Amino acid sequence: MPPRPKKPGPTEIGDAAAKAARKPRAPRGSKAGDATAPDAANPSQSGASDTINVKPAKPSTTAESSAPAVPASGETAQDAPRGGNNAVEETSSRPAKPTRKRKEQPVPAAKDDFSNLLEPFYYGKSLTDPINTATDKWNLLPAFLKVKGLVKQHIDSFNHFVDVELKKIVEANRVVHSDADDKFFLRYTDIRVLKPNRIDEDNKDMKYKESNITPNECRLRDLTYAAPIVVDIEYRRGNRIVRRKDIRIGRLPIMLRSNKCVLHGRSNKDMGLLNECEIDPGGYFVVRGQEKVILVQEQLSKNRVIVESAKGIMQASVTSSTHERKSKTYVILKKGRLYLRHNILNEEIPIVFILKAMGIQSDHEIILLVAGEDTIYQDQFAPNFEACTRENVYTQQQALEYIGSKIKMMRKPSGYQRRNYQHEAIECLATIVITHVPVFGMNFRPKALYVAFMARRVLMAMHDPTLVDDRDYVGNKRLELAGQMLSILFEDHFKRFNHEFKMNIDKVLKKPNRASEFDAYDHMHLHGNHLTMGIERALSTGNWNLKRFKMERAGVTHLLSRLSYISAIGMMTRISSQFEKTRKVSGPRALQPSQFGMLCPSDTPEGEACGLVKNLALMTHITTEDEEDPVRKLVFILGAEDIVSASGYEIHGVGAYVVFVNGTPIAVTRTPKKFLTDFRRFRRIGRISEFVSIYINHHHNGVHIATDEGRICRPLIIVERGRTKVTARYLKALRKGTMNFDDFLTRGLVEYLDVNEENDSNISVYEKDINEHTTHLEVEPFTILGAVAGLIPYPHHNQSPRNTYQCAMGKQAIGSIAYNQFTRIDTLLYLMVYPQKPMVSTRTIELIKYDKLPAGQNATVAVMSYSGYDIEDALVLNKASVDRGFGRCQVFKKMAVQLKNYANGASDMINAGARDATNPNHSKIGGDGIVEVGMELAKDDVYLLKATPANTSIYSVSGGANPHGGGGEWRDTHSSYKLPDPCYVDKIMVAENDNQTRIIKIQTRQTRRPELGDKFSSRHGQKGVVGIISPQADMPFSDDGVTPDIIMNPHGFPSRMTVGKMMELLSGKAGVLEGTQQYGTAFGGSKVEDMAMILLKKGFSYSGKDYLTSGITGEALPSYVFFGPIYYQKLKHMVQDKLHSRARGPRATLTRQPTEGRSRDGGLRLGEMERDCLIAYGASQLLLERLMVSSDAHEVDVCEKCGQMGYQGWCQACKTGEGVSKITMPYAAKLLLQELASMNVKVKLGLGEEFPSG
Amino acid sequence: MSGYVPPTSTAAATTTTSTGEGRSVDYTCGDCNAAVSLKRGEPIRCRSCGHRVLYKQRTNRMVQFEAR
Repeated sequence: MPPRPKKPGPTEIGDAAAKAARKPRAPRGSKAGDATAPDAANPSQSGASDTINVKPAKPSTTAESSAPAVPASGETAQDAPRGGNNAVEETSSRPAKPTRKRKEQPVPAAKDDFSNLLEPFYYGKSLTDPINTATDKWNLLPAFLKVKGLVKQHIDSFNHFVDVELKKIVEANRVVHSDADDKFFLRYTDIRVLKPNRIDEDNKDMKYKESNITPNECRLRDLTYAAPIVVDIEYRRGNRIVRRKDIRIGRLPIMLRSNKCVLHGRSNKDMGLLNECEIDPGGYFVVRGQEKVILVQEQLSKNRVIVESAKGIMQASVTSSTHERKSKTYVILKKGRLYLRHNILNEEIPIVFILKAMGIQSDHEIILLVAGEDTIYQDQFAPNFEACTRENVYTQQQALEYIGSKIKMMRKPSGYQRRNYQHEAIECLATIVITHVPVFGMNFRPKALYVAFMARRVLMAMHDPTLVDDRDYVGNKRLELAGQMLSILFEDHFKRFNHEFKMNIDKVLKKPNRASEFDAYDHMHLHGNHLTMGIERALSTGNWNLKRFKMERAGVTHLLSRLSYISAIGMMTRISSQFEKTRKVSGPRALQPSQFGMLCPSDTPEGEACGLVKNLALMTHITTEDEEDPVRKLVFILGAEDIVSASGYEIHGVGAYVVFVNGTPIAVTRTPKKFLTDFRRFRRIGRISEFVSIYINHHHNGVHIATDEGRICRPLIIVERGRTKVTARYLKALRKGTMNFDDFLTRGLVEYLDVNEENDSNISVYEKDINEHTTHLEVEPFTILGAVAGLIPYPHHNQSPRNTYQCAMGKQAIGSIAYNQFTRIDTLLYLMVYPQKPMVSTRTIELIKYDKLPAGQNATVAVMSYSGYDIEDALVLNKASVDRGFGRCQVFKKMAVQLKNYANGASDMINAGARDATNPNHSKIGGDGIVEVGMELAKDDVYLLKATPANTSIYSVSGGANPHGGGGEWRDTHSSYKLPDPCYVDKIMVAENDNQTRIIKIQTRQTRRPELGDKFSSRHGQKGVVGIISPQADMPFSDDGVTPDIIMNPHGFPSRMTVGKMMELLSGKAGVLEGTQQYGTAFGGSKVEDMAMILLKKGFSYSGKDYLTSGITGEALPSYVFFGPIYYQKLKHMVQDKLHSRARGPRATLTRQPTEGRSRDGGLRLGEMERDCLIAYGASQLLLERLMVSSDAHEVDVCEKCGQMGYQGWCQACKTGEGVSKITMPYAAKLLLQELASMNVKVKLGLGEEFPSG
Repeated sequence: MSGYVPPTSTAAATTTTSTGEGRSVDYTCGDCNAAVSLKRGEPIRCRSCGHRVLYKQRTNRMVQFEAR
């Protein structure tokens, strides 16, 4: 039994994590223990449990296990303010602590403060706390996220590509031969990717020096974060074989945080030194200074048979995909006969012929293989044999002859000989039809069986239409990740590289005698950086154009959205579907039950991409490829019999189950259940990869084993004999840090299930629901949601579309981007000045560290009507709150200028001499020709004095070299600030990129306070614009003197049914009063009853309603008002960016109509529908004014006689000035006439009296 | 209406290109924070640490902010 292959990536991370975790944890534990003690004494107080109340626990356990939501990182646990009543006890316990603390101080200092967050136990839990498996098993989740999850699939996939796939590709294209010299060869013996470096470091000398490049430098300097790819080669030079090592063949962009990245394995402290954010997930590339993500692509699985019925035609199809070839094969049912269809074949071929050609000659054997002993299937299949007599095909030879004659001609026949049909048919069947089932030594049996199985599936579906496969079933889908996309891209480019290399050496070797000995090494660099540029171009444009697979896919990569931290995370978990958006079928868009736990049910866009763009759930992993051979061996070890030697009786006999490995039948077993459990046992003890899945399909009597890449899977707790395998003992070990998630896997406590296997299991959501049939236990129910939907508190109380709306809006919220947000110069950057973490948090928020990079503020909200400026979701803002910084945000914009180098040697320059002291627009320019840092830029201010050489062509008058400035003429190309609102120059960066082009990036800053019309939203899909900013004196106030920050109209609630928002207010209020963090985790969270108790205890109404006094009249408001904190997000849509008006302004040159859009100072369009209104109303003069006079009125001379246009009162056609009159018409109409005339269409204008006398 | 107006900027070729030649401008290194003074045409690189991202120093002119 081969041991499980050790995966480099994840295991290393795991090891590192384990090491970190093994550091003494004592201080934290003991302190946290102290801190929780007072709480335990006050059970009612802390009864506000932060645990996911999976199961109503006894009060005492709740108090202990829930011990609160204070981060346990040493000091914070101690210093964090506890509930008011605890204060006394806490001070009393304090004196003892300092001594202990002093002793242990060095240890916490060595640890990263923030890494505690990902520690499995950080909610003030101590080692001594009792463990309740029902409530504490969720601790596996942070442990999982440490090893896998969210962005890790991108990184794992890339690592797999670099470490494994790359070598396989080179292995497959290992030798380059020459057509001219058959002795010559060049063999690649190895390929490696080095650490990232700069291009100039790479070119200098062969000795590789450690580079100090950082991803952030690449962002700033518009470089590509890439590493050299090196190969070892051996080749023939003269009569000797030469070996060379470390030959660079190109550069590969490196995924951030992959194992080749400089950030890999660095501590959080180092991240700061590298100007990188420690929370930033990585998983993207930096290409020419831009962050590019390869989105996850969803596809129908390859190499699997899918039975579908399209337009009444039943068919089984399989898309075969190997490294060499991709093709699609069908077995279709037409008029009750089965045929095989393939692109290479001119027509459909009766299935019987195919089977005969593959060596199954007897009709009896064929019918047994396809139908077995089942008389119904036999009767259904029998008519297929009619084709034999009709076409006179009985033997293998005849069948091959028949098939061969139907093969499409690939290339022109060489002329002198007849096509050999038999050979062609054999060739075709062996390598083109169903390529993924290999044929070794003319043994067609496996392939014949495959075809037979496809035929059988069609028969079955014919008999029972429910057996048609569901294309939308997630188990039939595969996700394509960055590694796979890069792998096909690299393969294509590497093949081309070898091809060009071969061409080059052929050219030299053809020459009969050479001056010097031929050294192929000299030719390796001739075609330079095609490989580098090809990959770089694909990544930066997103166009994957591969000739070999006839693949032309656009939009594979996207610019990583850095609007907020959440938008970046949301992008990394996004899955785009290959289905076209226009199709009116609901199937692919609908929520699939099999998505459960794998794809987020809430997070999908509205509109055309609805349901096609999906997001991964929190606890998913996408598999990478595992080796098939060990699995195949194991199948036989477990007692299954080889299917090649089995007859149809044995295969389809009663109780016989066929074992499929990746869709290909390989064995037969009569004890499928035992086989399954045995196989699983091997997986659970780690003898085969944890990502190999196995399940029984009772409809097809098949045991399916999958090892392929791109399956979505998630971990579940194993249940045996009605008991969870994860017991308190193991959770304790996890807490202690002696076990990590991988240990749980190898001990067989937890396992990964993919969609197919999940469908074959009985999974219990809660521990209390476990019965004798249960096989697995859910780790945590809230993991069915994704990262973005996880921000919503109490989402299980909201109407579901509201959660979907919030998922879209959460990505537009202004907040913090990353810890390095001020060192990076983004094109557009929105930052909130005082972001706050939400009062009502969720587990997901803490796991994805949204509380470290929040986007919003806790606003005190009064739900009441006020002033009438709050209708239709408008909000009333408190002016004093706005003055204090509520909703204040900063907008950074980048203005980048490149000083281009031209082909003739000239280059742009900054011309400080052009500064005109008399020109007020130049007043902010410094001595270097660039605006001074810190200056205010107003409209039309010049910020850069650039000069461009007048002559940039190579063929200049002076000829050849044109040293810049040397007598050349210069043109001023100054840049000036265009926006109406002023900004400040925040930062100016100068650098050079790869081509020694100087780049200047000017970052400007605006600070904006909320104004009328700015958009805000809570976390429940409740968006609204500011309707009025009311003075604080006029706002209602409570008897504590609290005025709200926001007044929200209560009409927002009834129709939207966002109960979660009310619960957030309630929990938030209780949290504020008690000084604790409350939780709104999905399917759990703080209970309303507990919150009401807290409010009651603090002297408030249990309902969250307060008595308010009107600030205007000073009288009490006639009713109690629902009043408390709700987390509000400021969205990026701000009035300042949209405000626009125009009276007169620029016009488009072609049509002379006003330009379009705010950025071009465009006009406001009176559209078609508005036009319809005016027509319907009969306002003809208004219509004329809007559509012509105020737009593109134009006077033309029209000849009455010929109806054509003349000019200056003269008709050119009639050669007369008589009867030429001036009329006004839209310029666009005149243009149309002329354009028609240019196409030989004559248009006549008929003139009539404007005011007819009659 | 307005006819064709020849672009004015083409004609206005700058005459005073030489004034900026000898002047050096002070920058701050993005890595080690050292002051770097660069002349025209010099490669952009910190003299002490070799870092290639430089920032322009803040103006010493008075800037008045409007506090809102």
